[in-house]
Amino acid sequence: MVEGLKDKVWTPEDLLERLESRDRFFVLDVRNRDEFDTFRLEGRIPVPAINIPYFEMLELGGKDEMSDSVVAYVEQSLANQLPSDLPILAVCAKGDTSQFVAQGLRHLGYAGANLQGGMKAWGKHYATRTLVESPDLAIYQVSRPARGCLSYLVAGSGKAVVIDPPRHLQPYLDLAGAKGLTIEAVIDTHAHADHISGGPTLAAKTGASYHLHPYDAIHPIDMQPATIPFEFIRDGQTFPVGQHELHAFHIPGHTLGLVAFRLDDKYLFTGDSIFIRSVARPDLGGQAAAWAPLHGRSLRRLIELPGEITVLPGHFSSLDEGDETGRFAASLNDLKQLNDGLVVLQRESEEGFIRYLLESLPKFIPEYMDIKRVNAGLLTPAEEDAATLELGKNVCALSQAYAASGGGRQ
Amino acid sequence: MSQAFDKLLDARGLNCPMPLVNARKEIGKIELGQVLKVVATDRGSVADFQGWAKIAKNVELVAQETESADGANLYVHYVKRTA
Repeated sequence: MVEGLKDKVWTPEDLLERLESRDRFFVLDVRNRDEFDTFRLEGRIPVPAINIPYFEMLELGGKDEMSDSVVAYVEQSLANQLPSDLPILAVCAKGDTSQFVAQGLRHLGYAGANLQGGMKAWGKHYATRTLVESPDLAIYQVSRPARGCLSYLVAGSGKAVVIDPPRHLQPYLDLAGAKGLTIEAVIDTHAHADHISGGPTLAAKTGASYHLHPYDAIHPIDMQPATIPFEFIRDGQTFPVGQHELHAFHIPGHTLGLVAFRLDDKYLFTGDSIFIRSVARPDLGGQAAAWAPLHGRSLRRLIELPGEITVLPGHFSSLDEGDETGRFAASLNDLKQLNDGLVVLQRESEEGFIRYLLESLPKFIPEYMDIKRVNAGLLTPAEEDAATLELGKNVCALSQAYAASGGGRQ
Repeated sequence: MSQAFDKLLDARGLNCPMPLVNARKEIGKIELGQVLKVVATDRGSVADFQGWAKIAKNVELVAQETESADGANLYVHYVKRTA
């Protein structure tokens, strides 16, 4: 048995830092092949990886103990495929088996490290970045890097509004606690399909009100009304944030009840409409042909807003969409030049843009219908099932940005 | 109907990879044709035992069951030694 080797451990936080700073490293992923195909590590630059399920290493390595089998297997079959000059991160589902793999690698002289908590921990890792911070106005962007989900806490005069929180509430509770903020309202910009919303539970836990547009409280496939308690969002409605106001724009397209929020003339929370490199897909309600024209008109409405306004999107497809500080934000003017969807929108006729939308649809993901059921309160999964439903990176954008990022669900 | 077995391996509470590591050791100790019953609480063991049985030359996965005990799931694997 391989012993006496000090474990080298990367926390999810360490991993994010390396992915964001374009650090070069190699991944030896020992999960099952379908898990690897569905959800893998992605950085600003491609992360080279090899997938050998651990039970293959164990069986083909042929030793009694896991780390001894790793040593034998690597010597027999992997030695010429592993880099000797880069760190090798061992990755598994929960971070237990990969410890043995990292140990085996280190025994052989490789710079083996273990991803603490595995892909499970990575999938629920959150990073909070300050976009603005003054007593008068603060905006924090809370990202879930593994899934490409972005959410926001907007605060003024000690009161906060949370926009699009995922189901792990601790980042928002911690943030509100650390900054001495009372969460007064929680808003979902729309009924999410790619992840389970934390909106209703965060509202219940903090005593805040919870808001959703009523069109998104009907499941688009089942035609069943949501059972969750919520207050209707109206087009033009305002939500006070201290001395400031969030102003609602009903912008149907990605969903029928999608709402963007403008904060003064400075910030635009676009939900799933305009992302950094692309625009949202219109087909997740199963009504692409009917919703694409709405989506086009909504996007035209948004690009008429002042060009200096800062767009704060609901998703990213690649970490590389972030700026050098890891923040996902850009002026509308810049996006009109850089965002594939907005470039086409400005160039094409209404019909031409609809054609573009319908020709750029990524694969439909069946789990998304169940996630919408969960978000409407029509289905209540156990924790492990919730994690499985949400596995993998979001695919809410059109396929250009998705393909460019080179991964996610296939 | 309950599956017949010759030896029981209690892998409850063990995390991956230990249910499979221990099962491999036990398979070496039983006779050809005998069946090892493995009881695990790690849900990942279901897919892992299937994957393992496909590549291991001396075992056959005879059956898998999920049982409920005290509100927690038990994942039960019946593995026959074939060589």
